[in-house]
Amino acid sequence: MDPSEVEFLAEKEIVKIIPNFSLDKIYLIGGDLGPFNPGLPVQVPVWLALNLKQRQKCRILPPPWMDVDKLEEVREMERKEDSFTPPPSPYYMELTKLLLNHASDNIPKADEIRTLVKDIWDTRIAKLRLSADSFISQQEAHAKLDNLTLMEINTTRSFLLDSLNCMFKLRSNMQPGTSAGKALDY
Amino acid sequence: MDSQSYLPVPPGVGMEENFLSLDDILLSHERLPSRTECLFPRLGFLEKSTDSQDIQEGTKMELPLWLAKGLYERKRRVVSIELPKVYREGWRTVFNADPTVVDLHKMGPYYYGLGSQMLHFDSPENPEIAQALLQTFIGRFRRTMDSSQNVYNEDTSALVDRLDCLERVLFKMGQRGLNSFQGWEKGRASHLTASTLVLNYRKRKMTDLQA
Repeated sequence: MDPSEVEFLAEKEIVKIIPNFSLDKIYLIGGDLGPFNPGLPVQVPVWLALNLKQRQKCRILPPPWMDVDKLEEVREMERKEDSFTPPPSPYYMELTKLLLNHASDNIPKADEIRTLVKDIWDTRIAKLRLSADSFISQQEAHAKLDNLTLMEINTTRSFLLDSLNCMFKLRSNMQPGTSAGKALDY
Repeated sequence: MDSQSYLPVPPGVGMEENFLSLDDILLSHERLPSRTECLFPRLGFLEKSTDSQDIQEGTKMELPLWLAKGLYERKRRVVSIELPKVYREGWRTVFNADPTVVDLHKMGPYYYGLGSQMLHFDSPENPEIAQALLQTFIGRFRRTMDSSQNVYNEDTSALVDRLDCLERVLFKMGQRGLNSFQGWEKGRASHLTASTLVLNYRKRKMTDLQA
């Protein structure tokens, strides 16, 4: 899976905006988007929010978790625990990148938020690697990890699956079983 | 999208080889020390050291894997294969002690592949060889994972030198995941780039055609 695909899935999340135009309720296949009145906050998906922002028709409000103090707490908790803590949002990495790239003027302390999110990401990826390593070195049959976001899974997916494949095949060497001169023809 | 335009046949890891895989074909060129158990009449020209017309019984020769596999029979009438040095007791203890310091590329670029193929030849040490292969892989996994996921935009030749071909494939996969993530983060994911297939296939210019 591409990171762009994960970003596409993240754009479905809901965010609050303050439009500066007015429009009646629109009825889309995915659901209804409430009437837009200038100055009144309304909840829309991220893809629409970004589009309106680029056309300068709205102001984006940062989501509740995108706050310096809250993110600092999350970071401290992440560093203390050995297992994964629930992330601020299931798509925190993508939303941070999208909102901070397009709407950084609407979000206070954008640079600090970027640094904090990067720290959280690094800690979680390090934990993921540690867990993958112990998975392989103890040759477990299955592992369960809670609270991982799709982007983190996506970065390690191909490498981990290939190494597990190799390990499985090397393990099957130990039981020769039925492999007397089998050759695969394609 | 980073999916390739064509997918080469991957090497068959383990005791099977994929017939169409280039890696397996190259692997089967590795030479194994072996001993002939019967007379090969009129094939003396293959053995450069003696001048006789046929290859006598009991000559020690180096046979490539593809030939050795084809000639080997359970009753061992034709050839008997010796294990290459790397898979013997001495080196196995080295791998047990610390797998990460060994330069696996020097030990034959296809250490895991050849080791798995050696299990065809019914040596009494087969279980230990299989175990050693697995343990070496597990021991080196951490190093491969860390180096592939942390090196970005630098020269990786120093790291890749000591890896065997199987590990190089894994390294490349890790690098690819890392590069695509970093590219996305920098915003380069939305740039259109020419496909590698088009870049490699350069159109002939009209002047070349007419010349």
